[in-house]
Amino acid sequence: MRAMSAAARRLLTSAVTLVLVTLVVFAVLVALPGEGPGDEESARRLPENYRAALRAQYHLDDPVLVRYGRWIGDLARGDLGASLRERRPVRALLRERLPVSLALNATALAAVLLIATPLGIAAAWKPGSGWDRVGHATTNALYAVPVFWVALLLQWIFAVRLRWLPLFGIEGDQAAQGAIARAADVARHLVMPAACLTYGSLAYVSRFVRAALVEATSGDGGRPARARGASALRYVAVHGIRQAAVPLLTLTGFLLPRLVGGSLLVEEIFNVPGLGSLLFDSVLGRDVPVVLALTLLTGAATLAAITAADLLAAWADPRVRHGV
Amino acid sequence: MGSDRRGPRLAILAFAGVIATGLAAPWVAPEPNRVDLERILAPPSSDHWLGTDGLGRDVLVRLAHGARVSLGVGVVTALLSVLIGLPLGAIAGYRGGFWDGAVSRAIEAALCFPALLVALAILSAGPGWLVRLPDTLRIAAALGFLGWTPAARYVRAEFLRLKGDEAIQAARATGASTFRVVTRHLLPRSLGPALVTIAFGASAAALGEAALSFVGLGISPPTASWGEMLFEAMRHMGTAWWLALFPGLALFVTVYGWNGLAEAFRRALEPRPSPS
Repeated sequence: MRAMSAAARRLLTSAVTLVLVTLVVFAVLVALPGEGPGDEESARRLPENYRAALRAQYHLDDPVLVRYGRWIGDLARGDLGASLRERRPVRALLRERLPVSLALNATALAAVLLIATPLGIAAAWKPGSGWDRVGHATTNALYAVPVFWVALLLQWIFAVRLRWLPLFGIEGDQAAQGAIARAADVARHLVMPAACLTYGSLAYVSRFVRAALVEATSGDGGRPARARGASALRYVAVHGIRQAAVPLLTLTGFLLPRLVGGSLLVEEIFNVPGLGSLLFDSVLGRDVPVVLALTLLTGAATLAAITAADLLAAWADPRVRHGV
Repeated sequence: MGSDRRGPRLAILAFAGVIATGLAAPWVAPEPNRVDLERILAPPSSDHWLGTDGLGRDVLVRLAHGARVSLGVGVVTALLSVLIGLPLGAIAGYRGGFWDGAVSRAIEAALCFPALLVALAILSAGPGWLVRLPDTLRIAAALGFLGWTPAARYVRAEFLRLKGDEAIQAARATGASTFRVVTRHLLPRSLGPALVTIAFGASAAALGEAALSFVGLGISPPTASWGEMLFEAMRHMGTAWWLALFPGLALFVTVYGWNGLAEAFRRALEPRPSPS
């Protein structure tokens, strides 16, 4: 019962947060110079009556709150509006871009978890051992390598020199025949961008896994398993992970918002038509409906992940559950 | 312990080199924009130790001036983040209840903002006094505006832990006011966390500045910035390796150095030997 009302309260505050955030984003976008047929630049280029007609068509002269209210009203009916730059429904743009970002970031996220978890286990197996220290130093160094530098290096080696992988984009010039050939073509395009999104997170994630496992196995909790004669590695990898399940799930929850918003720079460099590059172009082009929709999408993902992590922690810990 | 100390020491030495180069730059090499028309895109030589760029400017000199930007933005952003994040995190951790909820919601809201839009708004428009500030301060403002959340979360956790500490409870039991407990007992002990936060913040800000300058929103040319130099390098990819290698290396050393410093602070803070 308590948990239910807590969840409902969180949902409500999250909705309020999203409304406030989109309102501020809207106000900032409108206040920035260069919004369509209203600034000095277009005043010089367009005849006055044409400008007035455009401004009336897009309701640019209404007060900010009225325009925001109209956006919220449309949103309530499931209408995200139309892009000012591309003159297409925002919904169509998202349907086109979202799968690209999801494919790229899900690949990267899977790679992060697949590489960092064994690293964390190896480190927690014998804290302070050579494995622990080398892994720590290596992932730390990787974190410090700037992503656009790695992107340049990878492009130069694998695309320019070796010609193994395509330089940028998401699909080859000639549309590949058949679903399998097309998927393989897309996969080849995703290798370098996904690699760029992977290496920097290894330090944080592997250290998180290590800390959770050390915490879980250093107390009395693991003693029965050891007493039954479980090997040291089995003890850490099996019993530790079972006991550290909540922090590990929390971590995964925190990483999930990246699925929609984590790849702006990489998408720009590799010319990947995902949500990140859409946000970049839309912010620079003051495309208000698109920026608002993207803020809503990434914001909802972020809040959902945080809320889920909190509720999970509350459910797992009786002290939190009862508010001690 | 011998071998795992050598790596960090080397990194700290390299980082010190970057700091010294940045500090000395205006005196040793005062002209980062001087053009050598005889040597455009020249590889490293005795004249230009790290080569020249597409306009015939010396890469080493520009690197040194870029260090001033990177370090300056890093320190100012980190200070800004701590100035915002430390009080908020302290209130949330120490008072709990309503204040904790309020600060937590503020952190969530900050995480929902598109950082790019905030940066663009602060860098391209903003009120007049902001636009007249030097580039370094404006970029720091743009990065610090949303960059305070890790500081707030870290300090909140520290205060939450400290609150139950025996010394604090003893102070309260002897009748010390909340104000006295916070200023005389909690704040001095949060100095360490603040240092850790500043170092980590500076590392993130160095990467942020380079990223902003890389996409053309940060430092305005011809001022040298490592991000802008790397963007230039993209045009000469495959022909002039020195343009990409050295700015990237400088950025790596700086970020690694800040992180190493942060970890050293953190380790020094832990009274008992940690299992790591």
